[in-house]
Amino acid sequence: MADFEKILFKNIDFPDQDKIDIYIKNGGYNALRKALDSMSPESVTEEVIKSGLRGRGGAGFPTGRKWTFLPKDSKRPVYLTVNADESEPGTFKDRELIEKDPHLVIEGTLLAAYAIKCGQAYIYIRGEFAFGARQLNKAIEEARAKGFLGKNILGKGVDIEIIVHRGGGAYICGEETALLTSLEGNQGYPRVKPPFPAISGLYSAPTIINNVETLSNIPYIINKGAEKFSAFGTAKSPGTKIFCLSGHINKPGNYELPMGIPLRELLYEYGGGIKDGRNLKAVIPGGSSVPLLTADKVDVRMDFESLAEAGTMLGSAGVIVIDETVCMVRAAYNLARFYQHESCGQCTPCRQGTYWILAILERIERGRGSLKDLDKLLEICENIEGNTICPLGDAATPSVKSTIHHFRDEYEYHITEQKCKVSMGPRFE
Amino acid sequence: MSAPAVLKILEKNVKEDAGLIAILEDIQANYGYLPKEALEIVAEKTGYPLLDIFGVATFYKSFSLKPRGEHLISVCLGTACHVRSAPVVVEEFERQLGIKVGETTPDNEFSLETAACLGACALGPIVVVDGRYFSNVDTSEVKRIIKKARTGLDKVTVKADQRIFPVEVSCSKCNHSLMDSSHLIDGYPSIKVTMSFSDLHGWLALSSLYGSYNVSSEYEIPGEMIVNIFCPHCHAELLGAADCADCSAPMIPMIVRGGGVVQICSRKGCKGHMLDLNGVNL
Repeated sequence: MADFEKILFKNIDFPDQDKIDIYIKNGGYNALRKALDSMSPESVTEEVIKSGLRGRGGAGFPTGRKWTFLPKDSKRPVYLTVNADESEPGTFKDRELIEKDPHLVIEGTLLAAYAIKCGQAYIYIRGEFAFGARQLNKAIEEARAKGFLGKNILGKGVDIEIIVHRGGGAYICGEETALLTSLEGNQGYPRVKPPFPAISGLYSAPTIINNVETLSNIPYIINKGAEKFSAFGTAKSPGTKIFCLSGHINKPGNYELPMGIPLRELLYEYGGGIKDGRNLKAVIPGGSSVPLLTADKVDVRMDFESLAEAGTMLGSAGVIVIDETVCMVRAAYNLARFYQHESCGQCTPCRQGTYWILAILERIERGRGSLKDLDKLLEICENIEGNTICPLGDAATPSVKSTIHHFRDEYEYHITEQKCKVSMGPRFE
Repeated sequence: MSAPAVLKILEKNVKEDAGLIAILEDIQANYGYLPKEALEIVAEKTGYPLLDIFGVATFYKSFSLKPRGEHLISVCLGTACHVRSAPVVVEEFERQLGIKVGETTPDNEFSLETAACLGACALGPIVVVDGRYFSNVDTSEVKRIIKKARTGLDKVTVKADQRIFPVEVSCSKCNHSLMDSSHLIDGYPSIKVTMSFSDLHGWLALSSLYGSYNVSSEYEIPGEMIVNIFCPHCHAELLGAADCADCSAPMIPMIVRGGGVVQICSRKGCKGHMLDLNGVNL
C-alpha cells in the first residue's frame, strides 16, 4: 500500500472535528495565522503555484495560476466563489469534507480569499445538502467568534466575509459560469467565455471559482510548504486525491490516496474487490461524464495524465464500478435521461442532441431500434461536442460513445434479439 | 395563501438584500409549493417581470408550481444506484403508491420523484423521504419505508425476529412431509419444494432453521424475483391468503409438525416470515 500522509482526511473521523475547539487542537487555523503573520497575499499565491495543486472539480487547472489571471489594478471588488454544488453522479467527496470537517473548508476559503485580496467569499452549496449548509454556517459563526473571520481578522486589518448560498437543484449550476448566474438570482444559464470569470464574473466583477476539495488542500500547503505537498502523487499531478468508490464494490466509500495510485490497488486492496465475487465489466473513473474503462484497463494509474492517455479523464474521481450483471445499453439510457433533463436548453446542439440521444436509446432499450441507430447516435454525439457554450454537452456524449465503442455487441443484441444480453430484472415498459 | 404572509417574506428578504431564489425558497418552505398568486405579489413588489419569476421557478428542481404531498419520496437514479437496481425500487414505489414518478397521491399524502444523484453513492440505492436518508434499499423495504413515513420518521424500529431454531414442516394441502434428510442445509434436513419463475421449473431447498435464510436451488433465482412454490408430492401451489408485511409479495404457508403454521415470503432476498404456533404469533 502507498506511503503518504493524509492531507484532507487526516482528522475526518476525529470525534467532534466539526467543532472549532477540536479543530484548533488538531492544528487548525495555524495556516491562517501563519499567512497573516508572515506572508503577503502574493507569497501565498506563490506557494500554491509552487505546490503544483490542480483544481479538483474536474478540469484539473493549476489553482495558483488561475489566481494570477485576476487583473492587477481592478477598481471593482474581487469575489471568491467556492463551488460546493457537487452533483456529478458518483461523486460524494465534498459532502464528507463539508459535513465532518467544515472548518478545514472555511480555513482554505479564508486563505484563498486573502491571497486574491477578496473581502467577500460565497460558498454555493447544493440545495440537497441541507445538513452541510448548517455545518458551514455553524462553522462560520464559530470562526467569527474567535476572530478568524469578519472584520479585522486576528487584528491584522484584513476583512473577509463568507456567505453560504444554497442552490435550487440544477446540475448545470456546478458549471462555473452557470453557478455565477444562479448566485445572482437568475436561471442558471452558463455564459460564453471569454470573458473568463477572472476578468468578468459575479456581478461583472473579477471572480475566482474553486472547488471545495481544492481549497481544503491549501491549509496544508501553507503549513508544511509546497515541497512537502508535491512530494506525494506524480510530478504533474501532485498531492493526494479523494477517490469516491461506488457501485459493485465490497467496500464503497471515500478514500484519500496519492495521485497516480493504480486503479487495481484502489479496487482490490482498498475497495475489497468486486461485490459478491462477480467479474468486473467496466469502471467509470471520474464521474458519469467521462468515458468508461473496460476491465482489462484496470492497471491504469489514477492521475490526470495517465487517465488522459488511457482515453478517459480523472474528472471528479467518482469511481463507479460496474460488474458483469449490468446491461450497458440500459446504463447509457439511464444516463442519457439525466443529461437530457439537466440540459439548460440554451444551445441547440445540446438541447436537441440530448433529446435525440435519449429517444434513440429508449427505442433500442425497448427492442425497436435498428442497426443504423448506432451510427446515428455517434453522429449526434459529434454534432454536440465542442459546439456548446458549456461542457454539459461534452459531458453527455462519453457515456454513449464509450458504451457503443466497447459494448457494441450488447447494443446489436438488443436490436436483433429485442432483449438484454445480460439481465438486470424488469425492463422499462 | 395569504397576502400578508407573502409580504412578510418579501420584507425579510429585502432587508437581507437577498435575491429572487431566496424569496422563492421561503415561499416554497411556507406553502410546500409556489402558489401563482404569491408569485404575482412578488412580481408586483420587487419589479421582477413575472416571466423571469416563472423562469426561475421552473428551472430549479426544488421549486414546484403544484402542491406537493405531505411526504416527498425521492429515489436516486444516479449511475451508482442504477447499477445496484434502483430502477426496480422506483417501480415498486410506483406500484405500492399507485402513482407514477412526478405525481402526488389523490389524498395528498405522498409525492414521488427521482433524483439524478443524491451524493451518497457508497450507500446506494438511496431513498430520501422528507430529508431522511435510507441506504441500501431494495424492493422488500419499500413497504416499510412508506409505513414509516406515515407513522412518523422518528419512531424507533422494532428489531426483526432474530431467533434461530429448527422446524419440521409439511405441505399445507396434502400434509405430506416436506423434509429432505438427504439434502442438508445448515446441518439440518432441508425443506424441499418445487418452484417456478419465468419459464424455469425446478427444485428449491430451504433451511429448516427458523431465522436462517440459506437456500439452494436448481436454477439461480434473480434478486428480488417472486417465485411460485409447489408441493413436490401433490403438486398443488402453496399460496396463502396473506401478503408479506415487509414487501407485500404473497406468503407461502406450511404446516409445522406439532401444530401451527409457518409462512415465508415468496420474494428472493426478502426476510419476511411469520410463525404461528397454535394461534400464538411469534
